[in-house]
Amino acid sequence: MCFFAFGAYNNSGMSKQYSPQELEEIVRHYRPVIGFSVKKALGPNYPDWEDVVQDVLTQVITKLQKGEFRGECSIGTFIYTVTKRRIVDCIRQKARVMTEMPELEATTLGPEEDVARKERAKIITDALLRLKPKFREVLYLYYYKELSREEIAARLGLSVRQVSERLYYAQKVFGKVLRRVFSEKNSNFSSRTRLKK
Amino acid sequence: MGRCRFEELIDGYLLNKLDREEAERFEEHYFNCSRCFAQLQARNELIQAVKTQGPSLVEDISPARPRAFSWASDVWTTLVNHPWVLAPAAALFLAAILIFSPLSKEKTPSFVLNGDSVIRGQAINLISPIIDVSTPPLFFEWKKQGENLEYKISVFNSDLLWTATTRETRIQVPEEVRQKMIPGEKYSWQVKAFSPTGALLAVSSRVQFMIKPQQ
Repeated sequence: MCFFAFGAYNNSGMSKQYSPQELEEIVRHYRPVIGFSVKKALGPNYPDWEDVVQDVLTQVITKLQKGEFRGECSIGTFIYTVTKRRIVDCIRQKARVMTEMPELEATTLGPEEDVARKERAKIITDALLRLKPKFREVLYLYYYKELSREEIAARLGLSVRQVSERLYYAQKVFGKVLRRVFSEKNSNFSSRTRLKK
Repeated sequence: MGRCRFEELIDGYLLNKLDREEAERFEEHYFNCSRCFAQLQARNELIQAVKTQGPSLVEDISPARPRAFSWASDVWTTLVNHPWVLAPAAALFLAAILIFSPLSKEKTPSFVLNGDSVIRGQAINLISPIIDVSTPPLFFEWKKQGENLEYKISVFNSDLLWTATTRETRIQVPEEVRQKMIPGEKYSWQVKAFSPTGALLAVSSRVQFMIKPQQ
């Protein structure tokens, strides 16, 4: 399922003119995706990841406004390409920082954000600890020990299918909690995310 | 909505188990698929939470299952998966019970004591006196039953005449007891063996003897 219907150009080669509202919608939807990708590539403790995300968004908006996106691919793929290039640049420029400063705090949060983050972390931890031991055991072995499903099955005397079912159930229960948390987060997030004009 | 074929790559991507091409293909996909991205976020939160908790996540779970349990679990899995194994396994189990149960009975004797002391279990063999005697006996003697046991001897006429305990297999009869033994009367005696903790381990039969009348 695509985020947007942008890119319906029918290969005409004509660029589209985006209204400010459309651009703002793109930023609102793609900021978390770009942020996730950047953090994954550079590490969650990379100090300037938010600046990198902002750079990517600025480049995307500039290119869209200049008509450089002609619809040869989806808008998602277009933004992914811009993101990937920026990440590669960042890795080239700051490779030494990445390897020597992994323990730095990513950003300095304000008191309100810090409290919100702690509350959210508590909800997530509680959700995890409320799971029955048999589910926590599988989660621990799969995600912490990084054993394969086959290895877990052998260790716990279960079938591979049982291991998969336990993982699926744990993910499902955990996902329900997160949907609630994320919906709160996104509503807070969108209120402070505005397109730079 | 059907399951996206990229969903199965989420764990591999987050745990860095995909090769570079697969990872890039998946990244491009989640820039275009809100469903996969939502799942990716949720799964990432889950993994981060698990990694943060670490071993404390399973602290209340027995850390290592005993090997015997694992073995039993394997046997159970085999039986469930191969029901035809059940009949021979049951036969073996019954055979084991039949073979080993008599041994266990010898080690844990049970006694039914009533009236003239019917004994079931280990018995103490009495040595002397077991036949009529001409004078009141100076000693009572029986066969050794085991190490570190305490023996309790009881001598009866119509009632209990005398009782005493010893760790030896022989006991001297006090003079005052001997004086109570009258020629021409019948007496009986019995010995019981006790463990250091006081558990009854063995019992003798009650043997009668008579002190012959004086000529």
